[in-house]
Amino acid sequence: AWQSGVGGHLGGLSVSAGGLVNEEVKRTVDLSTHLAKITTELVLSNQGHSAVQSFILSVEPDLAPHLAYIGASVKLPFPTHITQAERQLVVFQGNHYLYSPYPTRSQTTRVRLASKTVETYTKLGNPSKNDEIIEYGPFRDVPPYSEDTMKIHYENNTPFLTIGSLTRTIEVSHWGNIAVEETIDLRHTGAVLRGAFSRYDYQRQSDSGISSIKSFKTILPASAQDVYYRDEIGNISTSHLQVLDDSVEVEVRPRFPLFGGWKTHYVIGYNLPSYEYLYTLGDQYALKMRLVDHVYDDQVIDSLTVKIILPEGARNIHMDTPYKIDRLPNQLHYTYLDTFGRPVLVVTKDNLVEHHIQDVVVHYNFNKILMLQEPLLVVGAFYILFFTVIIYVRLDFAITKDPAAEVRMKVASITEQVLTLVNKRLGLYRHMDEVVNRYKQSRDTGALNSGRKTLEADHRTLTNEISSLQARLKAEGSDLAEKVGEVQKVDSQVKELVCRSCQEAERLVAGKVKKEAYIENEKNLSSKRQEFVGRIDSLLDAL
Amino acid sequence: LTKFGTEEKKMLKLSWSIKLNIQVLLLQFYSKIVFCFPFRFNYRSTHHLTSNGFYEFLNWFDERAWYPLGRIVGGTVYPGLMVTAGLIHYVLNLLHITVHIRDVCVFLAPVFSGLTSISTFLLTRELWNQGAGLLAACFIAIVPGYISRSVAGSFDNEGIAIFALQFTYYLWVKSVKTGSVFWAIGCCLSYFYMVSAWGGYVFIINLIPLHVFVLLLMQRFSRRVYIAYSTFYIIGLVLSMQIPFVGFQPIRTSEHMAAAGVFVLLQVYAFLQYLKDRLTRQEFQTLFFLGVALAAGVVFLSVIYLTYTGTNKLKCYAKIHIPIIASVSEHQPTTWVSFFFDLHILVCTFPAGLWFCIKNINDERVFVALYAISAVYFAGVMVRLMLTLTPVVCMLSAVAFSCVFEHYLGDDMKRQSPPAEDSRLGPNIKSIVTMLMLMLLMMFAVHCTWVTSNAYSSPSVVLASYNHDGSRNILDDFREAYYWLRQNTDEHARVMSWWDYGYQIAGMANRTTLVDNNTWNNSHIALVGKAMSSNETAAYEIMRSLDVDYVLIIFGGVIGYSGDDINKFLWMVRIAEGEHPRDIRESDYFTPQGEFRVDKAGSPTLLNCLMYKMSYYRFGEMQLDFRTPPGFDRTRNAEIGNKDIKLKHLEEAFTSEHWLVRIYKVKKLENRDRTSSL
Repeated sequence: AWQSGVGGHLGGLSVSAGGLVNEEVKRTVDLSTHLAKITTELVLSNQGHSAVQSFILSVEPDLAPHLAYIGASVKLPFPTHITQAERQLVVFQGNHYLYSPYPTRSQTTRVRLASKTVETYTKLGNPSKNDEIIEYGPFRDVPPYSEDTMKIHYENNTPFLTIGSLTRTIEVSHWGNIAVEETIDLRHTGAVLRGAFSRYDYQRQSDSGISSIKSFKTILPASAQDVYYRDEIGNISTSHLQVLDDSVEVEVRPRFPLFGGWKTHYVIGYNLPSYEYLYTLGDQYALKMRLVDHVYDDQVIDSLTVKIILPEGARNIHMDTPYKIDRLPNQLHYTYLDTFGRPVLVVTKDNLVEHHIQDVVVHYNFNKILMLQEPLLVVGAFYILFFTVIIYVRLDFAITKDPAAEVRMKVASITEQVLTLVNKRLGLYRHMDEVVNRYKQSRDTGALNSGRKTLEADHRTLTNEISSLQARLKAEGSDLAEKVGEVQKVDSQVKELVCRSCQEAERLVAGKVKKEAYIENEKNLSSKRQEFVGRIDSLLDAL
Repeated sequence: LTKFGTEEKKMLKLSWSIKLNIQVLLLQFYSKIVFCFPFRFNYRSTHHLTSNGFYEFLNWFDERAWYPLGRIVGGTVYPGLMVTAGLIHYVLNLLHITVHIRDVCVFLAPVFSGLTSISTFLLTRELWNQGAGLLAACFIAIVPGYISRSVAGSFDNEGIAIFALQFTYYLWVKSVKTGSVFWAIGCCLSYFYMVSAWGGYVFIINLIPLHVFVLLLMQRFSRRVYIAYSTFYIIGLVLSMQIPFVGFQPIRTSEHMAAAGVFVLLQVYAFLQYLKDRLTRQEFQTLFFLGVALAAGVVFLSVIYLTYTGTNKLKCYAKIHIPIIASVSEHQPTTWVSFFFDLHILVCTFPAGLWFCIKNINDERVFVALYAISAVYFAGVMVRLMLTLTPVVCMLSAVAFSCVFEHYLGDDMKRQSPPAEDSRLGPNIKSIVTMLMLMLLMMFAVHCTWVTSNAYSSPSVVLASYNHDGSRNILDDFREAYYWLRQNTDEHARVMSWWDYGYQIAGMANRTTLVDNNTWNNSHIALVGKAMSSNETAAYEIMRSLDVDYVLIIFGGVIGYSGDDINKFLWMVRIAEGEHPRDIRESDYFTPQGEFRVDKAGSPTLLNCLMYKMSYYRFGEMQLDFRTPPGFDRTRNAEIGNKDIKLKHLEEAFTSEHWLVRIYKVKKLENRDRTSSL
């Protein structure tokens, strides 16, 4: 491919359309890379009488299919197959003159080559060759549409790297992220490697395989994060990432060096914060991003496909492209939590170069309420899940009744009740102890009696309740009823002991016993009580 | 109890999440490459399944493997793994959770190992108690013997099979305990899953009958056992025959006969029990002796017959395949070192657990004792079967630890302690024993972490080396070369390599291979071995007849990688000799002193065979450092004997950066002279 830039200004302005003349033409043909860059500086003069609104720049008919950015080529490796040790030679075919519909007064052409080594070059007008530069001309009074083949056969070891196809996917999320992924097919389009590839030579001799590609640099936007570089069989471990102030540089090293005719395929992807690229006004959104981004310097892309995935629910989509580009019908893309799919814009274009790195703007409308759709979906799903679990746990779905299990559950609930009641009863005794102690200090017989009365009353009700529970246990046929009966028996003894200690206290207060004897007695009683309570505890444990 | 219940659930979740964490960590470095050799094949078949559907998968004829024979994949794999991954992928995508099948495959093993922990917990709870179950779940979550199969990225049959194994055993114990058809059917379904996942299902179908048989011998026959086994055998048999690869094996082959025999025996025994109730003692005795004599005769004869044919078959099988089976490192007998490496402290404590179980024997503990004994035997025979031993070791060790802790820690919790015991165990002894046990557990955890991070987390496809400053260097040669094959050779190119790399080439390079890790056709492998060990001209004949376009070999001489083809070369010679004893003789490759040497003293046959030439082509010029002469092989520490290697029919097509993989192109026949063609 080749490209040419046109810089020019109009000489006289008040001239007729038919009278344009190229006063002075300076062409520079840069052949130092794999691209042929032709820059033409024009000084136009109008010899006619009317004003000129436009002028025509024409391109050689042969070049038209190769033209990328007003431009194209004809640089071919020759010989087409080389061995690893050989250097790459290229033939360039161009025009000595500026191909123009207007006559040209004076013209020079300067050709810059990649190296000093030149096999042959056309010698029109006795050009001067100085190191890497060949100067043609000046040619005077060249008629319109004149052509004369310029042919230069020279050494060019710059890698002939071509991107066969590039698929760029831009996925916009309104939650703050834009994910970019590029799938790239790379090919070395220089002279094809003939014969063996020797790793030994490649490692030992610096000029072995000189036109092969070891690595190249890809420049990503400065805010690019989470860069990944991989292919079908996993992460490619040979890359390096460098974060600079105004960009992120990835040193992309294919798994193996690329020789002529070899190809490789990889995926590079990264995330961008959406606030840098996504503009909004109410419901209207505009995404401004590069349609195609940098892959390597002086890149050539044979075919490009860009897919822009907008959020689910985006409407009224239209696209402003910087240059003409083919738009394919929209697609739908489904990803996490999508219900009716995200709209995907698909555009393609063939034959692109570095100058095509320009911004595209996509306008669309999006109802902000839709942002809530996906969280609500998750909430709803969990709600349904928990609700079903609740229903399943709370309701009985058994088709048969298991009487044994029911009895077991009933017994369990009864024993639970027995346990609380027995513990309550033991609590009563502790309360009674306190009453007795207080009595010993205050010697208030009334308080003691009322305490005893409440104890008696509470104890009776509790014991009755336990007995009724015991009866129910018996009715269920549980052998726990006997144990409860035992508890009752032991308890009555405890009760007796409590009453006795109460009486002892009364006797002490009345002065009927000596203090020492009382203490001895009390010790006896309490140890006995301890024993009984321990027995009750172990019985309860058995329940 | 309720409090304990929630706590235990928490712990269970914790052990699962620990497991997931450990395994996901590995991925951070190596991202999503996939490591093991069989993985590549499994992944490829799963990919085929998801992209072409289930029936297409069952009918899949892979023409890219075993060229020119091909392989009927659908009928020769256990599809459980692929179907599981495919099903998960399908369900997730149905819900618009667009996970790539690769991610499903990578994370399948950790998820299933979590399930394994849970089923181990359940099984141990049935055998002993909840505390032991919890310990067992924790053990199996980190034990190195199982980590090797459950790291993220190991997409292997064994990964899901161990879960199926444990779960089947749990359901079996449950059905023996309850005698309910429900649990027995559950057991059958789980067994069906196991059959679909791994050839190791034979272990189940032999262990369960053994359990029943031993229960009969121990006079522990009950209606529960009868119901459980009858249901299990019949439904399990029918279900297992649904797997195409298994087919009619369960009623034909000798390894399934024990199950049938025990089934018959159980029926007879139950029938006799029935008759015993109906007949008088005298009648019964005559009938019994008659019946027993008859049955014993029949069983004896049939067992003799079956064993005879069975062993014969085994012998024949072994005779043909022995070099190839022996050449796989996983089939070697297990060393003590690897027992300790894989199980660490558990290998010492699990006999104690076994003793506890036998001391308080009941129906299900008979089962676990048999499980332990048979698994120990199998693990001793083959390294690979360590995997079946690991779960039972975890369970029994958990029982042992649990008993010790109960004894030495439990007293404090009780309100009343029996005074007799209290006097025996002073608080000092208690705390010392507890501390010791905790130390052991701690050491076990440290060991597991170390093993996981060092031994089992590095993929075999990517090698890593460390520089002087400690930075990590990745040698990604395998993928470099495979990807070169994938991108820069004809789509239908046929690549010859030793069978170890067959699945890798098929998976990563997507090229047709001659032999691969599914070593079903020994003679084909022998042919490749013969080509590798012949001289170049003879090899060229073989390669021409096999339509070989490229030859791939692994050469570790530059970086000192010991698993390369020259070190495997004697196996190639042996396997080739097995099929072509006239052309290849192992003794030719040794020096007269009987050594295998690559230097000048090596045998001339070796120094001129294809493998040697391809490995060392142009290596003789290479000087690796100044202390050694050019052509110094770092793996074998020798200066190579044949430095001036010329290739006539091959040419170097690609060599990876560290020379680990070398690919040669087989030249087409040269054009005839124009004069002679006239």
